[in-house]
Amino acid sequence: MGGTKIIAGIAFLFVSSLALLLTGCSGSQAGGVLRVGSKNFTEQVVLGEIIAQHLEHRLHQKVERKLNLGGTLLAHQALLAGEIDLYPEYSGTALVAVLKEPIQTDPAAVLGLVRSEYARRFHVAWLDSLGINNGFAMVVRGDNKKLETLSNAARNPKPWALGVGYEFEQRVDGLRALQNTYSLRTSSIKTMDLGLLYRAMEDGQVDMIAANATDGLLSKLDVKVLEDDKHAFPPYELCIAAREDRLNSVPGLREALAELSGKFTDRKMQELNYQVDGRHRPVADIAAEFLQSIEGTK
Amino acid sequence: MRPDLVNDLVQLTGEHLVLVLSAMAVAMLIGVPLGILLTRRTGLRRWLLGFASVMQTIPSLALFGFLIPIPFIGGIGKRTVIIALVLYALLPILRNTFVGIMSVDAAVCESAVAMGMTSGQMLRQVQLPLAAPTILAGIRVATVTTIGTATIAAAIGGGGLGVFIFRGVASVDTAQILAGAVPAALIALAADGGLGWVERKLSRA
Repeated sequence: MGGTKIIAGIAFLFVSSLALLLTGCSGSQAGGVLRVGSKNFTEQVVLGEIIAQHLEHRLHQKVERKLNLGGTLLAHQALLAGEIDLYPEYSGTALVAVLKEPIQTDPAAVLGLVRSEYARRFHVAWLDSLGINNGFAMVVRGDNKKLETLSNAARNPKPWALGVGYEFEQRVDGLRALQNTYSLRTSSIKTMDLGLLYRAMEDGQVDMIAANATDGLLSKLDVKVLEDDKHAFPPYELCIAAREDRLNSVPGLREALAELSGKFTDRKMQELNYQVDGRHRPVADIAAEFLQSIEGTK
Repeated sequence: MRPDLVNDLVQLTGEHLVLVLSAMAVAMLIGVPLGILLTRRTGLRRWLLGFASVMQTIPSLALFGFLIPIPFIGGIGKRTVIIALVLYALLPILRNTFVGIMSVDAAVCESAVAMGMTSGQMLRQVQLPLAAPTILAGIRVATVTTIGTATIAAAIGGGGLGVFIFRGVASVDTAQILAGAVPAALIALAADGGLGWVERKLSRA
């Protein structure tokens, strides 16, 4: 007798706490609090904070930050579940990791496909690009004055000592895409840790490295990013992905978010990343300064 | 196991063993004589043991960062990795050599002197044989950790089983991570067992 009572008691507690939890979630979702998410690396956290501060400033309401979500799928699930209302995502990542579509290299086609599929499958809208394309970037030392594009580099009489990271080496849209598109002549290809690549190039151990377009170090070192003029690499354009129901129900949200479109460049993002990783400054300060700097350009 | 991994496995395991054996040979050639020197030069003790301890605390990527620009010993590739592995292996060898010789019973040393042995004879015939199990224990610890640590060679283009691990992490491929981690662990276990056996032989003798 006593045993069943205890079990019934526990079951009651369990069910009621579950109910509380559920109503708690849906309650706050219906309410006014906006929730901005981001993945768990510097660039994402900085952008999440910039978006959050911008919305607080424009809409005069509290914005909850759910930054540092562990990875693409987690952020995506949180968005679909309504745990967050929006987060910044890369067009190439959405295409391959979320939609499981094959890789494409035309930026407009990728964004177009991602936009229509997200709207159809998830009721999530992709706003216009923030102006950043964080794909692979081939980088040379700054003293290569005449080189501007990868086509230029492929015509260089001297073969290149190439330094690449393991991800670039392994991916079909990395090293293989580079060699197939440009038939770049190489004297050696060294595979090593991404962070040490810059060091090795500064020291003349390699002449060209595969980096990411918004690496903070690019803004600080005397280096040059070569333009991918034949589109060997897929695009990773940064856009805000937001739930359509929230865009429609929160007055002014769509307009406020659209104000951030095109306000960034790869160069600007490199600097913002470097402020965090290289100078260890607080993200909130960096975000506030950035928003002030674009205030004048509106 | 996947065929694409098997092809690389032999080569990478070979590279790994070369890295470990070269680093251990150099570390022993430096560590044991220095350890002996420490028993005779009290002033050096704090500096050398301090240096070896500090080396242990430097993260490998940071150490590589320092080593890349240094001419002759630095750069990218195997040489830099071996230098780093030697620096990491030094402390257990140095300390155990020193402790092993210092803990030889003073009475034994006194009787060796009474028998008319020179200090060189005493070292070779009394102190080193009695300290051998302790010294070997240090070498054993250093070898096992070096086998694990050598996986970071892949961070600086030095090859070895770490290549599997770095590739696997970069492309979210668990099979590939295991293809690096499991053989490295097996080599470490084998080395530990083998050196343990030698150690027991020595302490019985």
